[in-house]
Amino acid sequence: MAITTENMNSFFDKAADTTAGEYIIRAVDVKKIYRMGDSETHALRGATMDIIRGEYISIMGPSGSGKTTFFNMIGGLAKPTSGKVYIDQVDIAQLDPYELAWLRCRKVGYIFQSYNLIQVMSCLENVMLPMSFAGVSSEDAREKALEILALVGLETRALHKPAEMSGGQQQRLAIARALANEPAIILADEPTANLDLRTGEEIIELFARLKDDLGVTIVTATHDLKMLKRSDRIVWIEDGLIGKVVTSDELDIDVGQIH
Amino acid sequence: MERIGTQVNLPWKIVLQITLQGIKIRLGRALVTLSGVVLGIAFLMNVITGELIKRTVSNEQKIRAEVNLMSTLVGSEMGNAKGKIIGIVASGKLTVPETKLVEWLVSKNPDEIRVCGDIIPGLKPSTSAEIGKDAYLLIIMGADKNLKSSIAELSAGMKQAIVIDTVGDRNYLASDTTGVKMLNMGTAQAAADVNAQAKQKEDTARAIWVVAISLLVTVIGIANALLMSVTERFKEIGTMKCLGALSVFIRRLFLLESGIIGLVGSIFGVLLGVLVPMVAFGSMYGMKLVFGAMDYPLLLLTSFGTLIAGVLLSMLAAIYPANFAARMIPAMALRSNV
Repeated sequence: MAITTENMNSFFDKAADTTAGEYIIRAVDVKKIYRMGDSETHALRGATMDIIRGEYISIMGPSGSGKTTFFNMIGGLAKPTSGKVYIDQVDIAQLDPYELAWLRCRKVGYIFQSYNLIQVMSCLENVMLPMSFAGVSSEDAREKALEILALVGLETRALHKPAEMSGGQQQRLAIARALANEPAIILADEPTANLDLRTGEEIIELFARLKDDLGVTIVTATHDLKMLKRSDRIVWIEDGLIGKVVTSDELDIDVGQIH
Repeated sequence: MERIGTQVNLPWKIVLQITLQGIKIRLGRALVTLSGVVLGIAFLMNVITGELIKRTVSNEQKIRAEVNLMSTLVGSEMGNAKGKIIGIVASGKLTVPETKLVEWLVSKNPDEIRVCGDIIPGLKPSTSAEIGKDAYLLIIMGADKNLKSSIAELSAGMKQAIVIDTVGDRNYLASDTTGVKMLNMGTAQAAADVNAQAKQKEDTARAIWVVAISLLVTVIGIANALLMSVTERFKEIGTMKCLGALSVFIRRLFLLESGIIGLVGSIFGVLLGVLVPMVAFGSMYGMKLVFGAMDYPLLLLTSFGTLIAGVLLSMLAAIYPANFAARMIPAMALRSNV
């Protein structure tokens, strides 16, 4: 079914009135099947979950549980086989590639386990890149990029290349880049996995500040206990389904039981 | 709430900036691809230049042989040129060998060389009635097969009635030639021409085959190099897509990169492919012959054509890798082990 931007926008206006934007991400009975020749892999078997605007959520799950697939779905990086994913009340299955790119560019900031910085560009250019994709003029982008670099404490490193910096600094740069277009959601895949304890804490601190000061919704996939403790809710994914959802207050007891 | 928009397509200028930056940083990698293009295009241009040189040289040799033949014949009839008058009947435009024959005649220093018909610069103009007066030898040359005056009129008053014609099939009345020793140099050359033409056709067919193969080698080489560089940059492409890059942008990035590499590589390739055979053949046939007799407008034209072909082929070779990169799903970037 072809949906134009026009009629979709009018639909969202109505939707916005009723739900008032309480949920930033909604996953409804999401199923994902990977087909490899004759064999089928059911990565997700009907995951349903709502994420509230401004929430800090951690997703846990053993490898092969469908955690990464779920993560890709709610980040608009892949489309579900069936079920619906709404990001800011938009059903991502209905978007064309141009609208999907727009969504990835402005609504979501991605942070990766291995930083995924563009090695050939300086810090400043890395932060400016998403802005130039969004059509911001290079003067404006430069000014704003410097502000964001200052926010993550990298203002003196603006002209350095990623390879010249430590792991913690690179991850802070990745966060700065994710913030470039003022996204509503930050998706972070194991952001502290490659960092030592102290730099990991710095990153967690930074996330907490972003959530409190900017009201950004943060979704991380992590096994870092310190990170889990700072989360509002922790979600377990098991065997392609949403298992347990707990708040961080309940975590201490749960950790003892689970591990 | 903010409405969903459509991602804008980045202007070429910004794509160009990012591309140039990428090439600059990955210079080592780009140079490998570049040298592939240089070698491919140099090979192509080398074949073309070699063909041009061979054609020029054989042309030049043909002319020299012809002039040689003519001057031997003229020399044997004329004997010592000192104190003699030579008449030339120019019937239409002179061919290159004929011009050279005139130059050879001048170098022999006869008493006088007079010309009737068309004017030849540097020689004394005359009329068809007076051309034969006291002349030892009359040479008819030029491309026009129809002679304006009769042989009888032209040869009137000659000291010895010898008329040499450079072509065999000029039209004049047989009755005209009574009492005149008519010689012509056209018949023997015609047979040699047919042989040379057949050989040239054979050479051209072989040259086209070699050029086609070298084109193919170039395209496959460039496609391979670009495909490698796409594979190396999976993660980077996936990341850019996560940041909001459109497939069109990724495609343009790779097409432009290969276009630039193709252009620079082709320039060096063409230079190499022109100079190396020129010098190589020059040392074989003599620099003066190769550089002097070269058909420069044609060489320039083929060089330009090869340059354009180099750029287009590079971009053609990049279409598959570029599409491959553009189709990549952004989730690839999340795979940390790629």
